Amino acid sequence: MSKTVLIADDLPFFRVALKDILMKGGYEVVGEATNGVEAVEKAKSLLPDIIILDVVMPVKTGLDAAKEIRLLRLQAKVVMCSSLGNEAIVDEALKSGACAYILKPLNEQTVLSTLERL
Amino acid sequence: MGRRMWGVVKTLLPPASYPPFSNMDTSKYKALYLQEAGEHVAGIEQGLLALEKNLADSATVDALFRHYHSIKGMSASMGYVPIQKLAHAQEDLLDNIRSKKLSPAPGITNTLFECLDAMKGLIRKVEEDSPLGDDVAPFAAKIKAVMEAASSAPEGGASTLPPQAKEAAVAQPSAPAGIASTADLKLSHVMKVEGRVFDELLSCVGDLVMALSSFKTLTQMSRSVEFKDGIHTLGKAIAALHGNILSARMLPISDLTEGLPRVIRDISQRSGKEVSLKIEGAELKLDRAILEGLGSPLVHIIRNAVDHGIESMAEREKAGKPREGTIIIKAYRRRERVIIEVSDDGKGINVEKIKKKAIAAGIAEGKVSSMTDKEAWMLVCLPGVTSADTVTDTSGRGVGMDVVKGVIDGLGGFLEIESAPGAGTRIILELPLTTAIIKTLLVAVKDEIFLLPLARIERVIEVSCDSISSGVYKYGDADVPVVPLGAALGMSEGPDRDKYTLIIVETKNMSSRAPRLNHSGTSLSGEGTESPEASGRTALRVDAFGDEIDAYVKPLLPPIAKLWGVSGITVMGDGRAVFLVDVGQITSNAVK
Repeated sequence: MSKTVLIADDLPFFRVALKDILMKGGYEVVGEATNGVEAVEKAKSLLPDIIILDVVMPVKTGLDAAKEIRLLRLQAKVVMCSSLGNEAIVDEALKSGACAYILKPLNEQTVLSTLERL
Repeated sequence: MGRRMWGVVKTLLPPASYPPFSNMDTSKYKALYLQEAGEHVAGIEQGLLALEKNLADSATVDALFRHYHSIKGMSASMGYVPIQKLAHAQEDLLDNIRSKKLSPAPGITNTLFECLDAMKGLIRKVEEDSPLGDDVAPFAAKIKAVMEAASSAPEGGASTLPPQAKEAAVAQPSAPAGIASTADLKLSHVMKVEGRVFDELLSCVGDLVMALSSFKTLTQMSRSVEFKDGIHTLGKAIAALHGNILSARMLPISDLTEGLPRVIRDISQRSGKEVSLKIEGAELKLDRAILEGLGSPLVHIIRNAVDHGIESMAEREKAGKPREGTIIIKAYRRRERVIIEVSDDGKGINVEKIKKKAIAAGIAEGKVSSMTDKEAWMLVCLPGVTSADTVTDTSGRGVGMDVVKGVIDGLGGFLEIESAPGAGTRIILELPLTTAIIKTLLVAVKDEIFLLPLARIERVIEVSCDSISSGVYKYGDADVPVVPLGAALGMSEGPDRDKYTLIIVETKNMSSRAPRLNHSGTSLSGEGTESPEASGRTALRVDAFGDEIDAYVKPLLPPIAKLWGVSGITVMGDGRAVFLVDVGQITSNAVK
């Protein structure tokens, strides 16, 4: 059975691109969120295998959403995805419960190989 | 799960050679990119205007940062490196403002506006598929320079720090979902349709209306009740179709005015004045063709107001006015028309100066000196006459108001001017709500037929030739100038007749609405009086008149676009092409 993924990004552009990549890699995108609050809610209701969170989002950032999701003790693996790539942010993502970090611009191979190694 | 998984990258930006989307087809995403980038650019413009006026709270600054960040990310993915670099530089600057290392001084917002314009230009190039070039370095350098200048100031931060990871919680309504999620597949109730589709639909209805009118002529000859009923039902259906299409074409005035704050900012900054803009009634809807035509006249009127109406700050203070000038755009309905008033609280039009300029431009001195103030104000609408002391790079060259008036007339509207010395000027545009199908009266001159817009006609009278003496007809107590329509349109005079038909029309362009500007210059409200004075009428002399018809009037296109005295053409049920007379143009010539 293919793994289920929840995507959270405020930009439709990236949600569409990411969805295309994931579908090519045989993943099933079960939900999309446009901000951190929606991401946490959908994580609870959809119980996906993987949650991909953008860092810079309105209402609640991806980092704050990751922290909340960790407290929920879900099975889902959290992957951060951003064009912000400095060490401070990556470190904070790690502390927030993320287990991988994908750097934008999205690269099909990078995305798929990162998810395979989870 | 281990640390080896982490692709920690120390530089903020991936190298320029980073493969965008790798093997993916980027063209698929271009449309999405353009749409979203346009939305973010609009968001940035709004945010910067707020920032400049010190109205930006932390939520606005955060939103601005995200807009830049979004454009940067999408551009990087698409491989639009210059846009990505430019957005990145601005994002950096915004991040410094966000973390309070910089305060948004005027120099900074100006630079951001310049960069935004450059970014817009690049996005346009993407749209046009032209090469982006790689000349964003000067902008990036400029941003660096303003950041360094600000950080060397005592309260400035020490150095440019990497963007902060931690973001303050942002109080903002949740962003609308751009696309439906997979769990909830629904189509939107709103559909995007290209404007030209409605133009074509309207054109089809126009043809139907004209075909119907020839059937209506046939019903008068027919005895068949079924036929008459059928035509009646068809008429009702076509009218309903027409109404629906017209309402689909209606757009709120705000669609046009939302770009104005930026226009005002640019002009007022260039002229060193402070000007605020207030817009009332922007939710009112107008046909898109009319709204579209209104764009450049509106900008022109506002340029005039800022450049020549509103005084310098020193002059305003001396006159006891607030330093900041105010421009008010007020839109409201008056029956089937929309009135758009643009008022400023500047110095008003100097009548003596205008009169001198009109004489210099070749108008007879006797005529000019006998003009009332309200007639003199309209002189600014003649080619070559300007109220400006100086020619700026935006206005004051004496071309402009005549063009503005021409455009408004062409849209089937009127333009009026009111002014009070020291208190300001108000330009009043009266426009039809919709365009295209208008009620007209058929008139004949010799063998030619013409259409006159019914809305301009006050009365139709048959008179004997004796009652017209030296080009004037006594209408009630007033002397009304008589204009032979045929001669005005350049036709040769036919043999004299015993009887003529006079069409009394309003000539609003010289009409008389008393100025109602008060001297505080703030409450520039009040509606115009309805009845035109005697001087506001002209009698058009024709040989005969016929039916009233609903005509689908098409605009004149090159090569006959600038035909004098007519404003449109319609094709009658029998295939004859008939011109719609431009009453404003014909009568204004009579007054001149």
